[in-house]
Amino acid sequence: MIDIRQKKRSYFALLMPAFLVYISIIIFPILMSFGLSFTKWKQFKMVGFVGISNYVNILKDPVFQRAIWNNIQIMLVSVLGQIPLGLLLAYLLYRKWVKGTKFFEMMIFLPITISSIVVALLWNRVFSPVGLYTSFIRQVTHNPDYVVTISESPRFAMIPILIVLLWQYTSLYMVIFLANLQRIPESVFEAATIDGAKESTIISHIVLPELTGVIFTCSVLAISGSLKSFDLVFAMTGGGPVNYTTVMALYLYQQTFTFSNYGYGSAVSIIIVILSVGLISLSNRLYARAQKSIN
Amino acid sequence: MKQSREKKISNGAVVFSYLFLILFTLLTLLPVIWMTYSSFKPMGEIMMHPMHWPSNPSLANYKKAFEFGHISIAFLNSVLYSVIATGGTVLLALAAGFALTKFGFKSAKIYMAFFTLGLLITVNSVITPLFIMETNTGLYNTRIGVVLPYIAFGLPTSILIAGSYIRGIPDALVEAAVIDGASYTAIFWKIVLVISTPVIATIAVLSFLGNWNEFLLVFTLTSGQNMRSLPVSINSFAGRLNQDYGLQFAALVIGTIPMFVFYVFAHNSLVKGFGEGAIKE
Repeated sequence: MIDIRQKKRSYFALLMPAFLVYISIIIFPILMSFGLSFTKWKQFKMVGFVGISNYVNILKDPVFQRAIWNNIQIMLVSVLGQIPLGLLLAYLLYRKWVKGTKFFEMMIFLPITISSIVVALLWNRVFSPVGLYTSFIRQVTHNPDYVVTISESPRFAMIPILIVLLWQYTSLYMVIFLANLQRIPESVFEAATIDGAKESTIISHIVLPELTGVIFTCSVLAISGSLKSFDLVFAMTGGGPVNYTTVMALYLYQQTFTFSNYGYGSAVSIIIVILSVGLISLSNRLYARAQKSIN
Repeated sequence: MKQSREKKISNGAVVFSYLFLILFTLLTLLPVIWMTYSSFKPMGEIMMHPMHWPSNPSLANYKKAFEFGHISIAFLNSVLYSVIATGGTVLLALAAGFALTKFGFKSAKIYMAFFTLGLLITVNSVITPLFIMETNTGLYNTRIGVVLPYIAFGLPTSILIAGSYIRGIPDALVEAAVIDGASYTAIFWKIVLVISTPVIATIAVLSFLGNWNEFLLVFTLTSGQNMRSLPVSINSFAGRLNQDYGLQFAALVIGTIPMFVFYVFAHNSLVKGFGEGAIKE
């Protein structure tokens, strides 16, 4: 007979190590962060409760507003750039119109293994006055004085970062879409081809409906990924020049570790959590509504 | 008639596919290739002829990187952090995944939902309190203070992947072992872990990649030269303000090679892991 008490004991013995690590390193700090966000710190010491004034000051700070706008740009490039490009690449590989699809897949997926720090510093070199991109443009345009100046522009300073993000993460979505395309039974395509269906019909009637769920999942990944971007921006520009390229996580980092403003920094992190939970549940709702209207 | 039209369309598709895929492959590879051969050039040549192949390939930049950058210790730390944290994540996630899918207790659902919640929480939302906690408990600037957060942040995804795989193991297998008098711990070690090899590979490869490239936690929770991992060390001695481009290229190549080797061996598991809907770092 199975001893229920022994069973229960084993259940907790297996579950608790993971649970305790998770609670003490993720859940407890989040709650602590919430508490800290209402406090003020001076010289590594808490000096009192300040209510919601940290939140008010953050939202009023033009640097933070800039950071939000930059995060939105990253989000747009992720959702409207990486995902469609990744989908196109996956589809081309899936249809096997070319030879060596395995080779292409392997090469295009390569950046996923390189650390963001290396990627950032590499692209800084590429865009530098003695860089690959600059030299290429100089040769093509016969202008020996060409340099990349867009990163100094207050309006477009994010563009080099956005290009690098496209370079780094598009292949992630390619791989996700490819795996899901391969789940569609071959017979569906054969039937469609025999019936004389055009490529555009196959895409709009078979591929896209089949992939809606995955496209949605990828968008959620892209949105939450965009809100936490830190490493690449930190190593590439450090937020500069004059905060032109700052992002929320970088702002948080500076408040906590440069100015030792733990209360203020915690409030920033709570804002990031609220934004990501909010955005993800909003897209969940939109997806549910879209599905309803399709059926 | 119909045949020829079909062929024409697919010809266009073939040409477009080749062009697009070759273009994308070049865009991916050229910067990496350029970085690699530039690392064998002295500073002057990098400045004068940025695109040229090295005229006198030399390892001088690498020598300098190993001397100034404390690369060996950083490499060792990266290996330690990644291997220990990956082992920890795999073991804890498999154990929790087994408990939450095969015991039939009502609380399992609640625990599972609770772990799933962790997918929404990122390192930067806990970094401030984590830093305060680690300074107060003496974990700051220790290896265990890096490994524990690595394990914790690996858990939500890994438990989901492990749970959905273990759920598929036939109940009869576990029940038969129980009737034979095996303890649940024995079942975990001797049956669940053995059957789950494919999913262990997926989880291990994904967490190893994430841990190896992680930056923020090591950067903020350690301060000593001898605690730093490869990305943190590269950023501090060859970062964006460094003017010695040769040294920087060498550092970047050193940062790329281990993962390149890893990629060659783990490519299939990586593709499988990400393809099954894992999380972008």
